[in-house]
Amino acid sequence: MMRKSLLAASAAIFALAGVTPASAEDTVAVIVKATTSEYWQWVFKGAEEAGRQLGVKVGKLGTPKDDAAGQIAVLENAAGSKPAAIVISPTIFEALGDPIAAVTDAGIPVIVIDSGAKTDKYASFLTTNNEAGGKAAAEAMATCIKERTGKAAGKVGYLTAMAGHESLDSRDRGFVEGLKAYPDMTLVGNRVANNEEAEGMTLTADMLTKDPDLVGLFADNAQMGTGAGASVAEQKLGAKFCLVAFDSDAGELEHLKDGSIYALIVQDPYMMGFAGVWYGYAAAHGVRLPRNVDTGVGTVTKATMNDPALAGLLDVSKRKLGPFVAN
Amino acid sequence: MTDQPMPHIRPGPRLRSAAPGKSLQALLRRLPIETYVIAFTVMLWVALALTTPNFLTEGNISNLMRQTPVAAIVAIGVMCTIVIAGIDLSVGSVVAFCGVVFAQMCGHGLGLAPAALLTLAAGAGVGLVNAAAIARLGIPPFIVTLAGLQVYRGLALLLSGGMTIGGLPAEVKEFARGTTGLPNLFWAMLAVGVAVHYLLRFTRTGRYMYAMGSNAEAARRQGINTPRITLIAYVLSSGLAALAGILLVSRLSIASPSMANAYELQAIAAAVVGGASLFGGRGTVLGTVVGAILFTTMSNAAVLLGIDPFWEMVLEGLLIALVVYLDNLQKRRQAGS
Repeated sequence: MMRKSLLAASAAIFALAGVTPASAEDTVAVIVKATTSEYWQWVFKGAEEAGRQLGVKVGKLGTPKDDAAGQIAVLENAAGSKPAAIVISPTIFEALGDPIAAVTDAGIPVIVIDSGAKTDKYASFLTTNNEAGGKAAAEAMATCIKERTGKAAGKVGYLTAMAGHESLDSRDRGFVEGLKAYPDMTLVGNRVANNEEAEGMTLTADMLTKDPDLVGLFADNAQMGTGAGASVAEQKLGAKFCLVAFDSDAGELEHLKDGSIYALIVQDPYMMGFAGVWYGYAAAHGVRLPRNVDTGVGTVTKATMNDPALAGLLDVSKRKLGPFVAN
Repeated sequence: MTDQPMPHIRPGPRLRSAAPGKSLQALLRRLPIETYVIAFTVMLWVALALTTPNFLTEGNISNLMRQTPVAAIVAIGVMCTIVIAGIDLSVGSVVAFCGVVFAQMCGHGLGLAPAALLTLAAGAGVGLVNAAAIARLGIPPFIVTLAGLQVYRGLALLLSGGMTIGGLPAEVKEFARGTTGLPNLFWAMLAVGVAVHYLLRFTRTGRYMYAMGSNAEAARRQGINTPRITLIAYVLSSGLAALAGILLVSRLSIASPSMANAYELQAIAAAVVGGASLFGGRGTVLGTVVGAILFTTMSNAAVLLGIDPFWEMVLEGLLIALVVYLDNLQKRRQAGS
């Protein structure tokens, strides 16, 4: 009964929009920032699952590394092959604005994921609220310090993966903002790395040398988390030190397990890819979508890493979709 | 460079060939640039020891001893190609590629020693291909190794599927974390340094490398087998990059296809600051290692002194420019005197 009415409703939507349901030939092009990063591979995994469910082809596109000019070319080529919709994560806010607007003008719905672009001509924007993620990191750090010393107090610092990246800046801003709720925690340092694990490791060791009484560190992406975790593990500080890191990759997970990382702030790239393709498909069939969707962050500690709701955020192979009220 | 008057047969021949100095000034003018870089590094260490309470601590020195070796080993290899008037831009990618290969072999249950040996063999293979393309096909080293920079990064990504590789056996990380009096990594650097120093200073091959770098045509006419010398230099460079890859994986306890980003540039910087000439014929292991130590110290100092990370980059760049400028100035003065 329920299913029947749902079918009727979708048929009605398709009829209203004046389009027919997608044929097997339909393609949704997914363009990421850097095909070489684990994070974007997870986006592709989610997108593929949605493609499988919908029976549409998913084109996995992008440049190997962050490259705005390259990404514009990929976008234009993808649009040229007339896909049902395009899902894209813009490399640079300003640079991708006009090209995305041009694709929308050509009648192809664009779903923007992860990072914004300087245009309002898109169907929907699915992203992590990075500032909220940074705040969550500050909260997790305070919890950790309190657990270990009885009081949320002491010197803390943060490690920025790269300068001038909007999403990283937002995380850092959120972290600094979040610290204000804990007046006894004082920020003493920030270093910027070259998005390289070994450099993150070196900087962590050096920050600990400068302030031997440092009690907490926030690493704002997976490379920094892995590097900082390796440094904490090398110095066997895990039980005393409160390292909180963004994202989750194999290196960070190892350090979460060995206790060098207290908590990971994880985004939901799988959902960005999954929902991105569904949204693109829906938009192609005339559904009006919400302009902004927060795909959420989760705080995972060693104690909670096996919770079914969080396990899928840490390891895409354990990802189970639904029930719809949880992750 | 064909316009150089005489091939240098040994490193720092100016010291030996010049007449005995009449004054301190004349002596200072003839000292190789490495001496000044060593002096500068020592001065920096003294200044840091005096100004920050945490520099000259056991923990920090041990950190520096762990932070330098990977970069220094890569730089020693690249220096060997610079000595023969070549260049190796592929080393950063080879570090990542070999690191991924090593991690995957360890992950598949291959013992540590066989995995390390096969990884070194893979690195040597890369050098073989580079040398063949340069010596047999006559493609400039810059182009060959620029291609390698792309190819081996791509292969690292393909092999790993773009993912970080973790879950390595505990013995892998134990090496880099361990100490035998001094950190194991530091011993590895010393062993590599002594071996390559011996090759360059005390063997015929080493003398031929300097001769070829000073004047390849003259070297060939003297009967030096330049393709063989090219092969040795590039196999050393890639082989040491492979070793650095193994050590980096040990240090990080993971392998990531994106690691060792731009290590080729750091390596060239360390070699050049340590007195190597990109025109060939000059470069020493000691200078290169000191160059690597200097850059590690500068980044360490930037954190300890709270220097803005962006200023740190500017200062490092200025240092490279200054050293090369002083080196040229000294050479011109010598030519004039």
